Amino acid sequence: MAIGEGKTYTIPIGPVHVGLKEPITAWLQVDGERIVDVRIRPGAIHRGIEYMARERNPIQVIYLAERICGICSFAHIISFVRAVEDAASIPVPPRAKYIRTILLELERIHSHILWAGVACYTFGYDSAFNLGMLLREKVMDVLEAMTGNRVNYGVGTIGGVRRDITPQVAGAIEEMVEYYKREFSYFYNAVTEDPIVKARMRNVGVLSEKDAVRYCAVGPTARASGLRVDLRWSSPYEAYEDLNVEPIVPQDYFGNAQGDVFDRFFVRVMEVYQSLEIIEQCMDGLPEGPIMHEPKPAKLLNLLKTADGVGQSSIEAPRGDDTHVIKLTQAQENVTWWKVRAPTYANAMSWPIMFKDQEIADAPLIINSIDPCISCMERMLIVNEKGSSTVATKEELIRICRDKTRRLMHR
Amino acid sequence: MFKYSLNPLPKTPEEIKTFLEEKLTNNLESLEIREMVAGAEEKTSFYDMWITCDKGAFIDLVDSLFMLDFPIFHVISGDDVGDFVLLNYHFSLFASAGRGKRVGVVVSVKVQKNDLTMQSLYDKIPGIEYSEREMHEMLGVSFEGLPDQSLVFLPENWDEKVHPWRRDDSGLSPKHIRELS
Repeated sequence: MAIGEGKTYTIPIGPVHVGLKEPITAWLQVDGERIVDVRIRPGAIHRGIEYMARERNPIQVIYLAERICGICSFAHIISFVRAVEDAASIPVPPRAKYIRTILLELERIHSHILWAGVACYTFGYDSAFNLGMLLREKVMDVLEAMTGNRVNYGVGTIGGVRRDITPQVAGAIEEMVEYYKREFSYFYNAVTEDPIVKARMRNVGVLSEKDAVRYCAVGPTARASGLRVDLRWSSPYEAYEDLNVEPIVPQDYFGNAQGDVFDRFFVRVMEVYQSLEIIEQCMDGLPEGPIMHEPKPAKLLNLLKTADGVGQSSIEAPRGDDTHVIKLTQAQENVTWWKVRAPTYANAMSWPIMFKDQEIADAPLIINSIDPCISCMERMLIVNEKGSSTVATKEELIRICRDKTRRLMHR
Repeated sequence: MFKYSLNPLPKTPEEIKTFLEEKLTNNLESLEIREMVAGAEEKTSFYDMWITCDKGAFIDLVDSLFMLDFPIFHVISGDDVGDFVLLNYHFSLFASAGRGKRVGVVVSVKVQKNDLTMQSLYDKIPGIEYSEREMHEMLGVSFEGLPDQSLVFLPENWDEKVHPWRRDDSGLSPKHIRELS
């Protein structure tokens, strides 16, 4: 039967796949090269982390929360400790709020540059990928100087932070900001001015404004569809109340938002510049004073045992709104229950719409375009309706995606 | 019936409270407004509303929220509390209406264990699907009108009579838990 006559094939992508940073399964229903329907099945990496929290006290759960994600680990612990602070009415010293904000923005910079580089790699622009990875090292060095680690920094705590900004770290941050102001434009220009890049990302994986609302998309995915939403602006937390932060939306730059992969790329790249400005504002206004409400863990635990109630927090993580909800019960040391809603949990609902009527060669790019927080894979299995199967290796899948780029280059 | 756009004209928490009390007369069990502070000077930066309502009034309450703005859905949290399962629906109103204008709205509903069903919000907010399926598999609540009630996070071969977040006999037994240390 010819293409377009109704016979479709199912292509499972995942649970382990080169286009995914972590395991998830997508069954693509295809007619020839065209994707006609998609079914997503998460769960391959569900670790029962919320259940585990029931046997731990809130300070121990900080370290569980930090291991939800290797990229936005600090966002998760800040959302968690803010929920605890809400439930237990624990204040945070001003200096700690500013240090939290600086760390959140440093994390956003490395997350966005990582995503932008990997997006270029996916469609074969290896020189831009390598440039992105080179640029990202600077912020990773600053995070290591500030916290001792490149990921999972271990510096957040309930009622403050555990590490101050030393004069040496302040100097490293200042040098990093100057470095990115000088160097990041090379990456931005190399990507946005390339006609082939635009051809690969424009009108691909479109999510309309209406669908972004209906499916409750968050973060850069929502903003790329034209939604003026950013929790740092609409409900300021930590130091954002004192800072000038506006949501970055494509219509402010191009006149309209197309909600495609290019707009998602553009929003993230512009947010790197925005994060640099926020860090500068924080460093200029960094208040003096303590960095913890209660530095002694035993006293802090006793204080937490007096709390009785539910607290919630929603913060703007690199991928979008990260919500944590916690219940503490008076006289009980352990957390009663804890719920985490990471941004991908919300954005994955929009995948089927983005996939519809797109080409298989664009599938890895579309999957990555919401910056899914789910690890890498090695191969995919292609199954036809008679049940026979072939294995497409990582190299083959990348070849399919890159072949499309070459076809466009030779037009 | 529903507008799939965000309202740029905000209302204060007090205005929202008055509006909901008028719409739902005696059906709101409680309504608390929590002031959230931020910045070096601890300024009020936004508000959260914590509402408890009867299960029978839940859909009317959600429809009332729709009259104000599209209630952006975050997640459902929940717990097994003896005779009932408590579900907390977390929404945002006026998320696009200006600096500091977002109002977080949490709606708590008790679902008695002798009738563990809730009306699904899927037809109004399709983005709620994963959360309703998660509450179905983790706490055993069925959602009427949700087209796909299959497992979402638990393994394909999971015994669907076992609900990991329940604290009664339908919860986890030691055979389900692998202690690593």
